[in-house]
Amino acid sequence: MATLFIAIEFFALAALLGMYLLTFVLRGKETPKAIVFTHGPLAAVGIILLIVYILKGGPNPWDSLILFVLAALGGAYMLFRDLTGRPIPPLLAVGHGLLAVTGFVLLLVFAFGS
Amino acid sequence: MKTQSFWEATTPQRPEFPPLEGNLDVDVAIIGGGITGITTALQLTDAGKSVAVLEARRVGGGTTGWSTGNLYVPTGAYYHKILDSRDKETMSSVAYARAAALDFIEHQTLQKQIDCHFARRPWYFFTEEENMVSTIEKEVDALQRAGMPIEFTENVPYLNQDGIRIAARMHGQARFHPLRYVLGLATDIAARGCQIYEHTTVFDLKEEKDHCLLKTQHGTVTCRQIVIATHIPIGIHTVQTVAAPHRSYVVAVRLRNDDYPDAYFWQNDTMHKAITTHSTDSMKLDMLMVAGNHHKTGQASHQEYQHYFNELEDYARKHFDVASVEYRWSAQHYRSGDGVPYIGLTHKDAKRTYIATGFYADGLIYGTVAGMLLSDMIVGKDNNWLKAFDATRGTNLATAKTFVKENVNVAAQYLKDTPFSADVKHLSEIAPGEGKTMEIDGEKVAVYRNPNNQLHACSAVCTHMKCIVHWNNAENTWDCPCHGSRFMIDGSVIEGPAIANLEQKQIDVSGEHLIEGEKHRSGQRDINNPIT
Ligand SMILES: Cc1cc2nc3c(=O)[nH]c(=O)nc-3n(C[C@H](O)[C@H](O)[C@H](O)COP(=O)(O)OP(=O)(O)OC[C@H]3O[C@@H](n4cnc5c(N)ncnc54)[C@H](O)[C@@H]3O)c2cc1C
Ligand code: FES
Repeated sequence: MATLFIAIEFFALAALLGMYLLTFVLRGKETPKAIVFTHGPLAAVGIILLIVYILKGGPNPWDSLILFVLAALGGAYMLFRDLTGRPIPPLLAVGHGLLAVTGFVLLLVFAFGS
Repeated sequence: MKTQSFWEATTPQRPEFPPLEGNLDVDVAIIGGGITGITTALQLTDAGKSVAVLEARRVGGGTTGWSTGNLYVPTGAYYHKILDSRDKETMSSVAYARAAALDFIEHQTLQKQIDCHFARRPWYFFTEEENMVSTIEKEVDALQRAGMPIEFTENVPYLNQDGIRIAARMHGQARFHPLRYVLGLATDIAARGCQIYEHTTVFDLKEEKDHCLLKTQHGTVTCRQIVIATHIPIGIHTVQTVAAPHRSYVVAVRLRNDDYPDAYFWQNDTMHKAITTHSTDSMKLDMLMVAGNHHKTGQASHQEYQHYFNELEDYARKHFDVASVEYRWSAQHYRSGDGVPYIGLTHKDAKRTYIATGFYADGLIYGTVAGMLLSDMIVGKDNNWLKAFDATRGTNLATAKTFVKENVNVAAQYLKDTPFSADVKHLSEIAPGEGKTMEIDGEKVAVYRNPNNQLHACSAVCTHMKCIVHWNNAENTWDCPCHGSRFMIDGSVIEGPAIANLEQKQIDVSGEHLIEGEKHRSGQRDINNPIT
């Protein structure tokens, strides 16, 4: 269970930074890259820890993992667009956030629900 | 003292080439009119191809016209290191290619009677530091193994022998005026049908199945092949993950006694120095230059860039009887992952797009090698050097190490871009003549206050891959610490992989707010960086 709780902490930190980044995207401003390059790795560590937890066997938060992986793909695509000078569609940024938040809520329910 | 290149100052008649207005269809389009682009154009014109050279600024006005005009077989990447990172065959190919390029330049100057002061002379390689002796020994051994006529010597003329620990000499190297040479070639090929366009920035390029397309401000070029001869490929290219950009400095001085050494010297101490001499307007030597003090672009360890010039000037005064300092300038070079430049097709799937980069500060020769090699590739002629320089060669250990080192460095630059971090908080903290970054309304802005107290502001976010630019107070430019793009105070691109200018900003000075211009989406640029 410790692995799962650490994963949750990483996701929570990533979520905070993600919300902050979203304010830049929605205002049409350049994102501060230190936050971008911290947000992504935090979420990536969360996903790795989640995979480690799942590989141990037993009841699994598969649904969260799938949502996080989809969110991560969206994040990588946004990073590519951002660094190559292509606009980040606000809908994509919001969708990425919604996927991750849904994954996070499901993870919380899984961890603390019963 | 304002920086100015000796070569620019001593080129009296500079041919003018028009900007491209309209569309064009040629066999080969060459982006960049430095020594690489013009040599390639020469070879292809000689081979009967229709060629267009598209130059963003002036022909020869890039690094070529800001170099130090020495032609030599040795290389700053060192042959013994190339032997370690690659193999003996590669090392020998590089040495023979460099020797052939030197002969080629001599041949061109004679055949075309280019008044560029070409003259053969020896190169000396020495150190005053005990711990650098083994580097010289290894390099002499490597050059000899590559078949080059280098020898140890007891005597380094013109320099105080007392401190010298070990020295080597190689005869038959040369000097020339690089800008006059390139302009001489350009004039020759323009007269023979090669189309040269200045003030023509290429901002997009695309390789299709049977042709290539290239976009400029006022016209589209359709061609069968593209050569990206922009020193570092423009747009986004994987080579930028290893080709670290460095700035190095030059001071040119006059001597009191007129006793100018007729040789080229590398003092291979921990802080490497190159000493050379040149002539202003005849074959008579009348200028001594000291070059060195390189650092990664945008990452100077001294806030005052003048320090780098002052240190070179002190060195010149210590070793020579200096009458006056005439010119000071700096320029950029790009390294490679394994010590050998990347010349050839841009990536494994490319059929029509070529690059040439990673020359270190040895690119007057490497640019010539590139011109010879690329034209052979384009006309389908075998060339033995291709394997050594192949731009699509796989990763080796040396490249992997460089990749990690450079990208950790780039990541560190991105991690400095935190909210609320900038050089100053208020415009009042920027003195006349100074440039500082400032955060205004959540945006990083590069603000320069000119000596008349007028502000020039542009976005501080580099248009290449969005690192934050730094002020260079020697050249009065904004330099990007990630891959070396450089911008003028009005935001226009000078060099590097960036294509788009920094976006200009208007500041409401009283409230220190940005005056809203055209609304952009986050991440958006006027020009998408092509992936080259
Ligand atoms: C301080 C210093 C001293 C040096 N001294 C020597 C020396 O003594 N001997 C030696 O062999 N080498 C030397 N070098 C290295 C050498 O000068 C360079 O490697 C060489 O000049 C590179 O030539 P190039 O044609 O590839 O690039 P450049 O001369 O930089 O030409 C590239 C051209 O491309 C143009 N361009 C860029 N983007 C675009 C665009 N989008 N559209 C159209 N055009 C574009 C630029 O305006 C530029 O004119 C020195 C380097 C430095 C930094
Ligand atoms: S040069 Fe690459 S980010 Fe500026």
